[in-house]
Amino acid sequence: MKKGKRPIGKTLTILMIAFFYLPILYMMVFSFNEGKSLTVFTGFSLRWYEHMLESRDMMEALYTTFSIALLATVISTVAGTIAAIGLSKSRKIIRDLMKQVNNLPLMNPDIVTAIGFMLLFITFKVDKGYMTMLLAHVAFCIPYVILSVMPKIRSLDPNLADAAMDLGAKPFQAITKVIVPQIMPGVFSGALIAFTMSVDDFIISYFVTGNGVKNLSIMVYTMSKRVNPSINAVSTLVVVIIMLALLVINVMPVLMEKQRKKAEVGKKSLLLPIAAAVCAVSVIVLVAVGTKKEESDLPYAGQTLYVYMPGEYIGEEIVPLFEAQTGAIVVMENFDSNEQMYIKVANGESYDIVIPSDYMIQRLREENYLQKLDQSKLNCVDALLDAVKNQPYDATNEYSVPYFWGTVGIVYDKTKVSIEDLESQGFNIFLNQKYRGDIYLYDSERDSFMMALKALGYSMNTEDQGELDAAFDWLVECVSTMKPEIVTDEIIDNMAQGRKALGLCYSGDATYIMSENENMGFYMPEQGTNLWFDSMVIPANAENVELAHEFINFVCGYDMAYDNSGYVGYTSPIQAVMEDLSGEGGDYEGINAYLPRTDYDLDEVFVYNAETRKVISNLWSKVKIAASNAK
Amino acid sequence: MKKFAQLAIPYIVWAALMLILPMGLIAMYSFMEQGNSIVSFSLTLDHYVKFFTDPDFLVILWRSLVIAVKTTVICLLLGYPVAYFIARSDEKVQNMLVLCITIPTWINMLVRTYAWIGLLSEGGLIQQILGIFGLGDVELLYTEGAVLLGMVYNFIPFMILQINTSLCKMDHSLLEAGADLGANPVQTFRRITLPLSIPGVINGITLVFLPAISSFFIPKLLGGGQYFLIGNLIENQFITVGEWNFGSAISMIMAVIMMLLMMAVKKVEDRNQGGKEE
Repeated sequence: MKKGKRPIGKTLTILMIAFFYLPILYMMVFSFNEGKSLTVFTGFSLRWYEHMLESRDMMEALYTTFSIALLATVISTVAGTIAAIGLSKSRKIIRDLMKQVNNLPLMNPDIVTAIGFMLLFITFKVDKGYMTMLLAHVAFCIPYVILSVMPKIRSLDPNLADAAMDLGAKPFQAITKVIVPQIMPGVFSGALIAFTMSVDDFIISYFVTGNGVKNLSIMVYTMSKRVNPSINAVSTLVVVIIMLALLVINVMPVLMEKQRKKAEVGKKSLLLPIAAAVCAVSVIVLVAVGTKKEESDLPYAGQTLYVYMPGEYIGEEIVPLFEAQTGAIVVMENFDSNEQMYIKVANGESYDIVIPSDYMIQRLREENYLQKLDQSKLNCVDALLDAVKNQPYDATNEYSVPYFWGTVGIVYDKTKVSIEDLESQGFNIFLNQKYRGDIYLYDSERDSFMMALKALGYSMNTEDQGELDAAFDWLVECVSTMKPEIVTDEIIDNMAQGRKALGLCYSGDATYIMSENENMGFYMPEQGTNLWFDSMVIPANAENVELAHEFINFVCGYDMAYDNSGYVGYTSPIQAVMEDLSGEGGDYEGINAYLPRTDYDLDEVFVYNAETRKVISNLWSKVKIAASNAK
Repeated sequence: MKKFAQLAIPYIVWAALMLILPMGLIAMYSFMEQGNSIVSFSLTLDHYVKFFTDPDFLVILWRSLVIAVKTTVICLLLGYPVAYFIARSDEKVQNMLVLCITIPTWINMLVRTYAWIGLLSEGGLIQQILGIFGLGDVELLYTEGAVLLGMVYNFIPFMILQINTSLCKMDHSLLEAGADLGANPVQTFRRITLPLSIPGVINGITLVFLPAISSFFIPKLLGGGQYFLIGNLIENQFITVGEWNFGSAISMIMAVIMMLLMMAVKKVEDRNQGGKEE
């Protein structure tokens, strides 16, 4: 064999590895970024590492991710290999059938597999948490192992096992001593793929987990209100641990005089680093979690509060302080859309506090998933602004206490967009050819249709098919002639960097954008816009109603509400907090996006209507199809 | 022989419970009229009719197939030489290289994809490098190219791993025998190496093609919301629209198409394996 004389292969491999590590390096660099941006480096800082180490959630997620991945890999590799050996000796029809069955999780979109598992666990009333997540991971990992091992077994001489047994080997020995070593490369790559799949999985884990158990994927995907860069720090930590482990594994044999047989290198070099990495991670987690408070005589010691809310939507001090004050433990789960939340709540998952948006509160209420708040236990009602009370989704304020509120408007670059255009055209500026290719739309059917309906002078809660069709045509015209980019939360970073001239944006995000970039402005069209409220509610099946009320009061206290609004950037419903933050010397002084427009007749709150919602959803799919056709 | 066949039984039971049963539930939804309740059970084919009579849906299905095929072809063309090179290296180097390729996949996909967003965005690193060659204003992010790049980046490790597996335990004496009998390297590759690696190639294709066609995060993040594929449509039906029945139906349609494709691939494989089967 000629060695070192394969220039093309070598170059390609080196390039490939560079390609694989480029984003990893990029991510590592940005874990040291001072700012929150994931695209612009503003200075060196270790704050995300501090944040990571302080965050119990993140450490637990890290532990869950790797312990589940390791367990699922070991279990599915053993089970998958045994099954593959068995199948290879089964009748052809069974083998072919099982191959198709095996492909099911591979070829179905994850969401389908996820819903399938969720229904299964609900049907059998299995308590959701770590175990269900592990079961699901094993279930979707085994097929990858079988797929990898099968061809190796088929390339074996079918008489091999017989020969071994003729020579006196027991069947078990024939498998472990003769067959397995031969198929090792297949087992090895099956295990690698299983591990990868388990680490990466979000949607299946999301729908089968419960009790606050979450992996890193769930954490990242539900950081719906802005991705927190400490996730880069965690990922960097993982890379460093694996690299160190690898280094140790490869240096050790040299030190120990290479007594090991070459054949063993394959499996050991895989298992050891993972095992070492998981151990290291668990130690860190234990240290981080170990500092937890001990049992005490606090009023709610030993009790648990289950909170379900959007990710990255709460000030960092609030939960730890609440725990310190009450002695209770807060189990936090996050969602990234109201609809995602609805699926879990409607399927019987129990939480004590949920923070959905207005129209969803109305829906939950109408479908009897909420309970009335006990007004005698609430001491925060007087502190609330009048503007946030008596809203249509909860006209008598019996079910909800506002958490954040705001509007939807247009973020614009003052250096590129003339205010006259905005004032004269309102939302129709998104059809103005002058700004073609320079706009962001927000990937949400509700907000997009709101914009179109308002631009046309209709109510955003219209049920009239003709008006909805007109709005649909408006949106299709926009996506097919204006070359917009339809994004979600990337708009925050992108507008803060001034990458486009115009974008549809929530006022709370605009507040952040404007505090980052002074060229940016926020405009609320005279055609009217959406006034929205995210509020705290207690589900009907909540288990700790008492503590839930306690939490609501706590969050509404001046200090906490101030911290919360300051951290997230969304408008506080507490009058004093809103006034102080926007007033002289406040964090958001002079930022108009922080102060929602009130008492304006054309501004509306979303009203839930099952039929209209479906119509709009389907039309929005069509708008996006039109957008991809226009590309 | 029979004894070993029994080893498959636990898995068959497990698969029936964990794979077939959940899919059965989904299949049931796809034939049910409305809602998710089993009480009001009434059969219908409406959801299937709705899909096949709407040209828009067929266009996205087609587009998803095309992009999945493109991804698979690129992964194969780039992955094969790399896998081949790795398989030819020393055993130690080989293991290192395999790990080098897999480790990035242990970092959360979304985190890596966000890094790509940063790299590809306006004024990002790649655009600046292109700027040196006077190509500074080529739009990178939110294009089909970005989606392709993201898919290749995420799925190519599987292709490399699978091909490498089938190449690395190959009997080297075969190659030497070929050379002794006067075959030149190209002939040796075509007649010996390639056919022996076919099972790995087919596995690789399966592992790239299947996830590529149903992926929805990559198109959403790198293609922008305007890049709408069949995976996005299904996700949308389940989560946002709440039409599980229609979503299930699209999913069933996909599953059937995939099964047919896999059967076709299997035909090729069988032909290639010739008399090897008992």
